[in-house]
Amino acid sequence: MDECSDRDLVTASCRADRAAYAGLVRRHYNHVFLVCLGVLGNVHDAEDVAQDAMLKGFERIRQLRDGAQFGGWIVAIARNLGINLLRQRKSMAKALGAGEPPAQSHAGTGYEDLRQAVARLPWDLRLPLVMYYFDGQDVKAVADKLEMSTSGVYLKLRTALKELHDLLTTQGETP
Amino acid sequence: MNRPCPDRQDRLADYLLGALAAGAAKAVQEHLDRCANCRQYLQNLQRQSETLVRLGREIGADMEVRQAKVIEALEDVAPAEAGMSRVFPFIGGYLRTAVAAVLVLGAGITIGRWTGPHPVDVGQLRAELQASVTASLQPVVGESVLAELDQRLQTGLSASDERLRAELGEQVRRDLRVLAAQFAANSERLVDERFADIVQLIEAGRRTDRERVAKALEQITTRTGLGFQTLAARAQEPSAPIQN
Repeated sequence: MDECSDRDLVTASCRADRAAYAGLVRRHYNHVFLVCLGVLGNVHDAEDVAQDAMLKGFERIRQLRDGAQFGGWIVAIARNLGINLLRQRKSMAKALGAGEPPAQSHAGTGYEDLRQAVARLPWDLRLPLVMYYFDGQDVKAVADKLEMSTSGVYLKLRTALKELHDLLTTQGETP
Repeated sequence: MNRPCPDRQDRLADYLLGALAAGAAKAVQEHLDRCANCRQYLQNLQRQSETLVRLGREIGADMEVRQAKVIEALEDVAPAEAGMSRVFPFIGGYLRTAVAAVLVLGAGITIGRWTGPHPVDVGQLRAELQASVTASLQPVVGESVLAELDQRLQTGLSASDERLRAELGEQVRRDLRVLAAQFAANSERLVDERFADIVQLIEAGRRTDRERVAKALEQITTRTGLGFQTLAARAQEPSAPIQN
């Protein structure tokens, strides 16, 4: 199945071939998950939304005109679902009168501090950061996938690194 | 913690990301050689970046388990039917909308032609009139025939004489023939009358149309004639000599 192109797998998936779509899941799930993580900021939400996106992709597979575009198409679905979830939560929090979630105590590993700091970044900074550092993509690839200029991605990464540093430093200085 | 130089923070982050050109990178390096606070800041950013990569690996370690869950959940899902984009995959956006609009318009015109009024078919008109008049006459004639028959049959049933019964029967048949002839004559006459009325209306309409067309033609002829006269007059005028 691995040697098949995305276009072949999409064509077979249109005939409700679940094995073919499973091939697409294996090939693209990582990117989809990391985009969801980049938007939402925590692993549990990212797992839920990434699964939802992959299943929606199978349901809507016949709407995809060019099977070779599956990667970008499924990532766009995931990203939109993630952003919608963020908006719903924001409006719900507003309706309930709740503000930003309080910063958690930083007892635990160094990773835990970093996880929390990453989760507190705005999603438009977090997404390129996750794609660059977690997914190991170079700046040009991130720029292509987010439809931004490379200088724009550099700017986001620079800002994200500085904000992360400030967050971690503030946490470290908290008594 | 000692703070880095405020105007150098962006440059240091760009330096770490490899976003600077060679000259700018060299300038940052020279500054780092002189400034301990900025050196410390850069080391922090480097450690933070390395930790981000390790965190990414840790999160990615469970990726196969997550994929397996998705593949398992596929059993409950199936591709939905294709929409317009799949029916017309070779066209998109506005063009698809335009094609759909043309198809709808075409269908509308076809239906309109099927259901719209046709030129007057005299034969059909006459047949329809015949059916209409017959339908309106039948109940009246039928009732009078039944009343007559009833009366005669009552008389016939009360008569004891066989010969009288035969005569009455013969009378009923004769009356029926007369009534049938009257019915036919009446319906024919009424059809002719209504047909004549309609033909008269159609003729009046045509006459009006002909008058309008004649009037329009007269106006066109007058204007065109004047135009030709002017043209002829100008053609007869001697042409001006060509200036060199």
